[in-house]
Amino acid sequence: MLRKFPWILVALAGAVGWGTLALHRGETISAAWLVLAAVCTYLIAFRFYSRFLADRVLGLNDRRATPAERLANGRDYVPTSRWVLFGHHFAAIAGPGPLVGPVLAAQFGYLPGTIWIVIGVVVAGAVQDFIILFASMRRDGKSLGQMAKEETGPVTGVLTMVAVLAIMVILLAVLALVVVNALKDSPWGVFTIACTMPIAVLMGFWMKSWRPGRTLEATAIGVALLLLALVAGRYVAASPTLAPLFTWSGLTIAYAVMGYGFVASVLPVWMLLCPRDYLSTFMKIGTILLLALGILLVLPPLRLPALTPFIDGTGPVFAGKLFPFAFITIACGAISGFHALVASGTTPKMLMRESDARLIGYGGMLMESFVAVMALCAAALLDPGIYFAINAPLPVLGGTAQSAAEVIRGWGFTVSPDQITALAAEVGEKTLLGRTGGAPSLAVGMAHILSGAFGRGLMALWYHFAIMFEALFILTTLDTGTRVGRFMVQELAGHVWAPLGRTSWYPSTVVTSALIVAAWGWFLVQGVSDPLGGINSLWPLFGISNQLLAAVALCVGTTILIKGAKARYAWVTLVPLAWVLTVTLTAGWQKVFAADPRLGFLAHAARTAEQVAAGSLEPARGARLIFNDRLDALVALSFMIVTVVVVAASAREWLLVLMRRRPAAANESPFVETAYVG
Amino acid sequence: MWARVEAVLRVVRRISGMPDYAAYVEHAGRSHPERAVASEEEFYEEYLRARYEGGPTRCC
Repeated sequence: MLRKFPWILVALAGAVGWGTLALHRGETISAAWLVLAAVCTYLIAFRFYSRFLADRVLGLNDRRATPAERLANGRDYVPTSRWVLFGHHFAAIAGPGPLVGPVLAAQFGYLPGTIWIVIGVVVAGAVQDFIILFASMRRDGKSLGQMAKEETGPVTGVLTMVAVLAIMVILLAVLALVVVNALKDSPWGVFTIACTMPIAVLMGFWMKSWRPGRTLEATAIGVALLLLALVAGRYVAASPTLAPLFTWSGLTIAYAVMGYGFVASVLPVWMLLCPRDYLSTFMKIGTILLLALGILLVLPPLRLPALTPFIDGTGPVFAGKLFPFAFITIACGAISGFHALVASGTTPKMLMRESDARLIGYGGMLMESFVAVMALCAAALLDPGIYFAINAPLPVLGGTAQSAAEVIRGWGFTVSPDQITALAAEVGEKTLLGRTGGAPSLAVGMAHILSGAFGRGLMALWYHFAIMFEALFILTTLDTGTRVGRFMVQELAGHVWAPLGRTSWYPSTVVTSALIVAAWGWFLVQGVSDPLGGINSLWPLFGISNQLLAAVALCVGTTILIKGAKARYAWVTLVPLAWVLTVTLTAGWQKVFAADPRLGFLAHAARTAEQVAAGSLEPARGARLIFNDRLDALVALSFMIVTVVVVAASAREWLLVLMRRRPAAANESPFVETAYVG
Repeated sequence: MWARVEAVLRVVRRISGMPDYAAYVEHAGRSHPERAVASEEEFYEEYLRARYEGGPTRCC
């Protein structure tokens, strides 16, 4: 009883946090309550639920040698102590997703996002990550696709691989779009990000040729140069000769990003990709710690209401009602299928003991969820009027601060034109109107927090610091993603013509890299030239694809539980699976077939056709818009079909095992006693 | 003092996914004393291949 006492206190504190969130409507409350509710829930969930999963459901066994011990090679199979690996795993899973999603979902108010992020991670996201990490650890670090193939058959395996590739394409497109929207017409931002390329190449040569092995030394120099570039950006933006050189339109940045993705994929990794990876990892971890510290120091009041009128689906940031779209928009942070790829990648090869998987798999995802909570705080501390001025598409707001203020007043939020222009001037931008994609409003929120905590009057510098930090690691997801996509295409193409499958054959590398860049570039350009800013149509598509991948991962997890004679505990994956399927299939269906042209792709195509027929839209442009709508509809439908097939194939397998018509044997590597003591 | 700094640097390296040549040399000496130890350059190349030719290392 005495040992449980502190946990009772934690539970009570959490209840107070949730109670305050729930009961205070229509008045401003402090972010402290949100943080308190989240952290207490995480602690309770980790202490009790993850222990239940570890001991009862998965049966982690410290006497069983891990792949890191059995296959140690000093390179990728390296036994790593628990907290170090926790940091490594967190750096791998935390990306732009948990930062951007909650900011967009703030159009419903802060409450729906908070509930989904905190509850979702506890029962769904962290469970998925933990089980996939466990499964891969028991199988020498095999990937999700390989496990799907071995446990449920070759069809599921191939479908999983195709799904992963397709999701990657949509993911890369939407992330690139976030970067484009954050950097367009911003010479300061473009200059800083452009500087990361030569800095990375310098670091690459430093580590490879000049001072081999001095990776930390090179990275320290890189970070210093990057901060210098950030400060110098202010002077570039102020210079009448330099500023025009770095003032790029959305389309120009889109092509530049595509060019970067291609170059990073065909160059040797040591030259560009790997040093940029180090640079962005350092900035990422540093900034997230800084942000956490800032939020705790400032404890900003949440100005956004708990719920906005837009829960009825009329919101300007993206279309669709609270259900299912809040749960689609916040993908990462609550549950992210993409994590299943990382949890079955480098991390399982580094676990020193089986029991460490609990902290790293379950705990790592709780930490990512906390990042999402911080992003939500950063968005919710903004004046609602300012939030919508930044996040609503430009054509909706009209071109000027006056028109924007009027439109926003019509939505029931007060903001003056002066406030809008003053804020833009304060952060060193010409305008912040209609900068959709989440990154700019997050940067404004972060700038408020960081300047409040660490230095007033530096708003512009903190804003561009935040933009740099976001763009930096989005581009890292982009280049590593393009490269991984290239390997996948090469593997698939190798079946058609063997030489294409050779990753070291240069023509194959160039062709397959161009192919994958063209694929995500198509959606990117579509998004950039979309009159409503593109985030509107692409972000839900990304959310749906990421959650459907989660459904596939949860299917694999369920299969592993049932085959491992743990069928009575299969609800731990079946419950989140049922939820994720309900949400994503509903959202997918609505995105394709809804009669409202703001929401449904096909309805939008039909309306565009009418506009062309009526002569209010140029036919060539209309044809392109209609093609894109139909393509988006096709993509959404294909994701849904692939997932339903995978679920059906898995369910068949479960029934066969449960009816004892198939042996209940999971394909784990044989037990080997650990040589570690204690 | 220096040993402590070195230990901290090792942690930083491991967290950010950087190669750790010293750890490799230690491992090779312990587990495969009969085989030749790769040079730092060879090790770096192998390390990058193992890390970046698998699945995604960075998430969304």
